[in-house]
Amino acid sequence: MPVINDIRLNLKKNDVLRRQGFKGYTRIRPEIKTLVLELLESTESTRLLEPTTAYEFYPITGMEPDRVLLQGGAVVNGSLLPSTFPDAKELAAIVCTIGPGLEKQVTEYSRGGETLRAMLLDGIGSAAVDILVQETCRFFSGEASKRGLQASSPVNPGMPGLPITEQRNLLELAHAGDIGVSLTSSGVMVPRKSTSMIIATGPEMKTWTQAEICARCNLRETCPYTVLRS
Amino acid sequence: MAKDLCKTLADLKEDEVLAIVEEKLKAGADPMGILADAGRAMEIVGNRFSKSEYFIPDLVYSGEILKKINELVKPKLTEEGGAKTGGKVIIGTVTGDIHDIGKDIVVFMLDVNGFDVVDLGVDVPIQKFVDTIKETSAPVVGLSGFLTLAYDSMKQTIEAIKAAGLRDNTKIMIGGGQITDEIMNYTGADAFGKDAMVGVSLAKKWAGIK
Repeated sequence: MPVINDIRLNLKKNDVLRRQGFKGYTRIRPEIKTLVLELLESTESTRLLEPTTAYEFYPITGMEPDRVLLQGGAVVNGSLLPSTFPDAKELAAIVCTIGPGLEKQVTEYSRGGETLRAMLLDGIGSAAVDILVQETCRFFSGEASKRGLQASSPVNPGMPGLPITEQRNLLELAHAGDIGVSLTSSGVMVPRKSTSMIIATGPEMKTWTQAEICARCNLRETCPYTVLRS
Repeated sequence: MAKDLCKTLADLKEDEVLAIVEEKLKAGADPMGILADAGRAMEIVGNRFSKSEYFIPDLVYSGEILKKINELVKPKLTEEGGAKTGGKVIIGTVTGDIHDIGKDIVVFMLDVNGFDVVDLGVDVPIQKFVDTIKETSAPVVGLSGFLTLAYDSMKQTIEAIKAAGLRDNTKIMIGGGQITDEIMNYTGADAFGKDAMVGVSLAKKWAGIK
């Protein structure tokens, strides 16, 4: 099954700091900036980040108001895909993870009483997943382009019209087990620093930016991670 | 003359703070007085955080400095003076959820603010909360959860605490993710903390600490 594991994550300090909830970068204490840089370096030297993406393309055989039918008999339930991408030709089921290493280190820091390190490293992990998603989207955009198609922006289980209950289905469609990603009985992804998404491809697919997502989110005024106030 | 401990700690100047504390202890200063100054500094830190002058990492950094102050002062304290004064708080990530970093930050901030924290970990079974309240008589419980699925677990945990006859003597706060008044009402909690500092403030209020 297709797996991408040669993804280079070019993590920038600002990406990481946004994930710590910092809104005014100039006011960040030098001690914290230094620690962030030190931890960033450690992720490279100790292989705490192992970015990997598993995916599978599925040609669309039918589109109904509340579900998409895929070749091979699979179905993705929910109205989001049919309403947003009515002209899609195929769907890519995708699961991305940075692996379990970073969160193990976060737990070790926490248990050792190094709460600040734990928190900052956890933020680095979240930023790494953000970048991994961007790089993965770039890959799919390139793949679609090779076939004369366009790739959409990603949609995720839990968005309105794509029930969170589709998560288990999506992980199966993407063969998430091949890269060590699974769901707990209550539906939490393990490793936690993982994400799942669907990208549609077709002649003209809708795309949007993170800022546009943040601007439409009902948590935009209070969310510490918004890109709008960066 | 030694610099002002309260101001220096509020400004998060770690090296200077530790030097001041060592100097004061060498000079025979009252260790409880040092801790009182540190407590006032933490209030200033909390105010700066609420005004968005400081961020969560600054808050945690202040806690780490305070922890180092406590380590320096502890050997000079009497047994009574060294005891946790904030009371007991039980905290855990509710069943079905395995997120821990937010909870760990709250545990840390409660600990450095003088609370005796019983950390039950993550994916904590409902009955474990009930049993621990019975065992410890802790008056404050914190339920953490990052995912939306946690809201039902929080509700069920609070219902179980009520069914066990423990709710009247237990204040319950929830936190993690994007909790709102609506979610708080849904779960039946007494309050929610949008960040670690609010969690500490709630625990202090419920423990009758100014």
